[in-house]
Amino acid sequence: MMEPLLDIRGLSISFGGLKAVADFDLQLGPRDLQGLIGPNGAGKTTVFNLLTGIYRPQAGSVRLAGRVLTGLRPHQVAAAGIARTFQASRLFGNLSVLDNVRIGCHLRTRHGLPGTILRTPQQVGEERAILARSVHLLSTFGLQDRRDELACNLPYGDRRRLEMARALATDPQVLLLDEPAAGMNPPEKLALRELIRGLRERFDVTILLIEHDMGVVMDICERITVLDYGVTIAVGTPAEVQRDPRVIEAYLGGDTVTK
Amino acid sequence: MTSANARWVAPRPAAAGTTWLYSLLPLLAAIALAAALHFGLQPAIGPFRTNVLMNIGINVILAVSLNIVNGFTGQFSIGHAGFMAVGGYTAAAITYYTSFRVWGDALMHGGVLSGVPANGWLTAGDALFVGSCLAGGLLAAVAGYLVGLPSLRLRGDYLAIVTLGFGEIVRVLLQQSDSDIPYLAADVQRMSVWQMARHLGGALGFSGVPFYTTPFWVWLFAAVTLLVAFRVKRSSYGRAFLSIREDETAAEAMGVALTRFKVRAFVLAAFFAGIAGGLFAHEIGTALNPRELGFMKSFDIVIMVVLGGMGSISGAALAAAILTILPEVLRSPPHVWPLGLVAIVFVLMVRRKAGRRAALTLAAVTVALEAVRAAALWQGVNLADYRMVLYALSLVVMMIVRPKGLFGVREIWDYRPLGRRRAATVAVG
Ligand SMILES: Nc1ncnc2c1ncn2[C@@H]1O[C@H](COP(=O)(O)OP(=O)(O)OP(=O)(O)O)[C@@H](O)[C@H]1O
Ligand SMILES: [Mg+2]
Repeated sequence: MMEPLLDIRGLSISFGGLKAVADFDLQLGPRDLQGLIGPNGAGKTTVFNLLTGIYRPQAGSVRLAGRVLTGLRPHQVAAAGIARTFQASRLFGNLSVLDNVRIGCHLRTRHGLPGTILRTPQQVGEERAILARSVHLLSTFGLQDRRDELACNLPYGDRRRLEMARALATDPQVLLLDEPAAGMNPPEKLALRELIRGLRERFDVTILLIEHDMGVVMDICERITVLDYGVTIAVGTPAEVQRDPRVIEAYLGGDTVTK
Repeated sequence: MTSANARWVAPRPAAAGTTWLYSLLPLLAAIALAAALHFGLQPAIGPFRTNVLMNIGINVILAVSLNIVNGFTGQFSIGHAGFMAVGGYTAAAITYYTSFRVWGDALMHGGVLSGVPANGWLTAGDALFVGSCLAGGLLAAVAGYLVGLPSLRLRGDYLAIVTLGFGEIVRVLLQQSDSDIPYLAADVQRMSVWQMARHLGGALGFSGVPFYTTPFWVWLFAAVTLLVAFRVKRSSYGRAFLSIREDETAAEAMGVALTRFKVRAFVLAAFFAGIAGGLFAHEIGTALNPRELGFMKSFDIVIMVVLGGMGSISGAALAAAILTILPEVLRSPPHVWPLGLVAIVFVLMVRRKAGRRAALTLAAVTVALEAVRAAALWQGVNLADYRMVLYALSLVVMMIVRPKGLFGVREIWDYRPLGRRRAATVAVG
């Protein structure tokens, strides 16, 4: 394996007595597409929160291209190049679809308040670039016809895609997707597989995917890490993971791993 | 391997067809507007209404600036009058004491724009006045920074308490200042700057400040405030503010530095509140005293923002205008039914079906207002005395009928007749 782009080692956090994530290791190479699965409450979202600075890990480290990210604030993590979507949609509901994406672009602008107030040619130029990029992102996700609608009025599937578009607008190196298929209907899910696969090349991005829909995960992920009660119980290719007795046991009574 | 740096950076070619002239054009328009009101409207309406015109402008500045904090970033500040007081007293002190130092008196040294036609156009007095207002705005902005930096890390409701406390502290400090304002040039000459800063009139207020405030200056600053607010709202920078209001966690994940942006919004708002204070301090007919700039004033401004719609600039400005005129109107309330009738017909014409409920509401409101008017006339009650009751009542009704204010987060012109909504977003320009 190449030198990892995202290098996570020994990441741990507990809430009260509960070890939500314990000693979590994961390496992602450039343009990898890996999966993170596990039963409800296994700690998957908590891993994302640790990576993006929402929670501060009690132990362990996160490195992006050699740079230590542990301890950074969420907006600094975003600037460093990790973007995410949220499990429960967290769109900017009273803003238009286009504005949701444009906010993602703000991070990469260089004009400040004076430029904004004076509306300098530079500011206008950057604003145009943002608009062009946002429109491009929206059409990538099939949202171009909805650009002027308020985000809160979107149907569920569109919301999930808008979350992805917004995250990509920050131009991340690593994209963390928290259950992007949740609430989508079967045709949408099929389209989503192709979409996510394509993102890697189009946006030169590495993807870590949390997903309960095994059809999606097993189809598109190259490697899968399985969490249960905060502990990593299996790592491997989809085929290996599916055969793993511990994984099967963890899922017994809940979802089944096989489709 | 990819570098740790971002790969996409908004390229910034100087946009074709965009020049500095273009970016300053609205400012010229603002000057034209201010001049039109000053020279066109003022002579026609007489001194009393001129004062109302100026009060409207000052309240527009206050409401639109508070809207940057409460409406854009979704914080809840209820100490805006504190910043107004900081700016107002700073400006008053600078004008008053500098006048003595320079001219040996604190009389008007103004030109046409300051209402003294004899001395020519822009004169030293005007320059001093504008400089004082700007200085007041700057000091208010500094105060905003000092208050905001620690408190904006806190959750929203704590901020409300901190701003409330700030406003009260300012008020009490001003009340404690020395009440002897020197009125002889010789006395002023002997004072140090520090002494001047302590002689602010105490509970009696700062009297003797020359009346430089005119419709021209008020509306020039109001137009600039509006311009800044609009440009911020319709920009990448402003969208960062709005995203904080919508969802702090998501905003942060998109790279918006929460505290930094909240503090900036706060500082910007405080600056304009300080300017409004400066205009207020130099206005004829107003009393610059701590009582006037206490919690009640802050509350007035909050009401304007809430009624107009949190985040709606035009809504806040309109609410400011209405609430400024209201007490004057209440003194001798006119009939409202002709207006109500016109509104009902209009609503029914532009929105055939959907408008029926709105029309009924309007009819009910009209009838209620007429009833109140009749009752007041019958009982010989001056409704203006019940202003605060009416405010509170209208707030309650508003929160039930339109919890997001008159215009919600949108602007007035986003509500197009014929039911269809215009593209909410506008390309740059
Ligand atoms: N801030 C917190 N305070 C206390 N407990 C927490 C907190 N965040 C997460 N937890 C707990 O940590 C455990 C892991 O939660 P997490 O949300 O990461 O699960 P998940 O794997 O994403 O589950 P799901 O598939 O349902 O989304 C849960 O038991 C949860 O209750
Ligand atoms: Mg989860």
